[in-house]
Amino acid sequence: MNKQQSATDLTEKIDLATVLKAKNGSHLKLKNPLITASGTCGNGHELAKFFDLNQLGAFTTKGITLQAQPGNKTPRIAESAAGIINSIGLENPGVDQFIAKKLPETAQYNLPILANISGYQADDFVNIAIKLAEQKEISGLEVNLSCPNIKGGGMIFGTDPENVFQITRKIKQVYPGYIIVKLTPNITDITTTALAAEEAGADAVALINTLSAMKIDIEKQKPLLANTYGGLSGPAIKPIAVKMVYQSYQKLTIPIIGLGGICSGSDVIEFLLAGATAVGLGSINLREPAAALRILAEIKDYLKKHQLNKLSSLIGAAHQ
Amino acid sequence: MFKIIANRLVGPKIYEIIIKADKLIEQPQPGQFFNLKVNKLKSKDPFLRRPFSVFDFNPVSQQLTFVYRVVGRGTEILSSFKVGDSLDLLGPLGKGFTLPENKKSLHLIGGGIGIAPLYYLARVLADQQQLSIYLGAETKTELNFFQQKFSELKCSIKLTAMAEKLDFKGTALQLWLKNLPANKADFIYVCGPEKMLLAVEKEALARNIDGELSVEKRMGCGIGICLSCSCQSVESPLTRKRACIEGPVFKLGEVELDE
Repeated sequence: MNKQQSATDLTEKIDLATVLKAKNGSHLKLKNPLITASGTCGNGHELAKFFDLNQLGAFTTKGITLQAQPGNKTPRIAESAAGIINSIGLENPGVDQFIAKKLPETAQYNLPILANISGYQADDFVNIAIKLAEQKEISGLEVNLSCPNIKGGGMIFGTDPENVFQITRKIKQVYPGYIIVKLTPNITDITTTALAAEEAGADAVALINTLSAMKIDIEKQKPLLANTYGGLSGPAIKPIAVKMVYQSYQKLTIPIIGLGGICSGSDVIEFLLAGATAVGLGSINLREPAAALRILAEIKDYLKKHQLNKLSSLIGAAHQ
Repeated sequence: MFKIIANRLVGPKIYEIIIKADKLIEQPQPGQFFNLKVNKLKSKDPFLRRPFSVFDFNPVSQQLTFVYRVVGRGTEILSSFKVGDSLDLLGPLGKGFTLPENKKSLHLIGGGIGIAPLYYLARVLADQQQLSIYLGAETKTELNFFQQKFSELKCSIKLTAMAEKLDFKGTALQLWLKNLPANKADFIYVCGPEKMLLAVEKEALARNIDGELSVEKRMGCGIGICLSCSCQSVESPLTRKRACIEGPVFKLGEVELDE
């Protein structure tokens, strides 16, 4: 046996699988912990030009709303130190067009599809969930409770635990499949909304969404983004995300999908140690479309170096 | 990774970077762009790549050239790359210019650093078509490099600057309109600041002149996933066109432009 072969054998023995177990026994089994984050992976075919999407653990769709949305005016993106600020504004063709046109395209890949859904009022989420419940190709919903519009109130859905509880429960009543609630970090204590999601029956939580931010163009002396405010993502927010995953892991019994600035295998390991069962790759896809492959290799290298053969043994290990 | 063959100052804050593009999956077409990673070593700051339209491509020598102006952090870092350094680039990306077959008189109208993508187009078309080039900038020094490059091609060139009189004093649009009665256009290609694109588009459409323009939008990914560069189509607000996929070259009157 030559050297190369033995290295391959060792790699094959490493088990990267991870299971997002829910309380009621329903679970989502992923061949590895990498999930593309909503809005950073298009409809699938865009990234498929750069690598075999089937290498991923799961795929999350761009945010879907009940009606088609044109999105915000441009500029929609700005940069800050090791980060990006976006305000795309949920541009999407609406749930019906998603089912008719986008879903069949994404469904051709052999991996779980998570449909990210957004709404402007509670009923929107319910109505989208009813339509998506009929789609066999979808493995679960990711409910985006970080949307800055709520009927009458003007506050962010996801910052009020009571709202999170009510909306999650309403969706749970109409959607029999796996439900992930994606939470906003724009809150004093994220464990309050995470617990509210768990109590309402969420199967998992995903955290964090972007941090509210803005940039001012000092030459024009005006906000740079057409929408004034946007959401900060990228390496700049990673420590905040790791902390929130760590905190939530101490209180929750449901699994956590950790995301926020992940760019490398080491970043993934850090999230797993903090308590994430799986992770989301977001901004990095914009910079490096085939990043997932590199990150998988880096995770394997770490496991080899530490003589571990099961990735799942790392989950929450930093708490022991 | 690709080796840098040259990266030199050719005008006020304007640089020409030449890359040995010997491993491209496909050849770039005029109007297409590449997304360049401007970081050194493994730095993640700035985080995003920078899109640059192709200034020239030579399939024989496999040289790929971009001409860029230093306007911010990304281009500043790019200008500090040395000959022999490696550069990570993604492309060719986007939809380029349509190359016409049966048009007699083609006009290329460029403003500022927006002149850059028109050079590759002109070089590809110059042997078969009758080309008139109208270039404008703030000052003459910004145009010197472009003037020299276009002069090597078989085409007529007229220059204008805002600050001084060349063939004309004023905008590229004013220069073009002044010459239009004597030199009719069958098809135009435009690239420059969005305000200029809008003004040229309006005048051209009013005269039933067909053409294409290349937009410059803030991009996130350059590959169609983030929707940062989404443009509103003229036909409907809900029909969106990504500058990085359906563009950056659009037909006149295809997408809404901002003042």
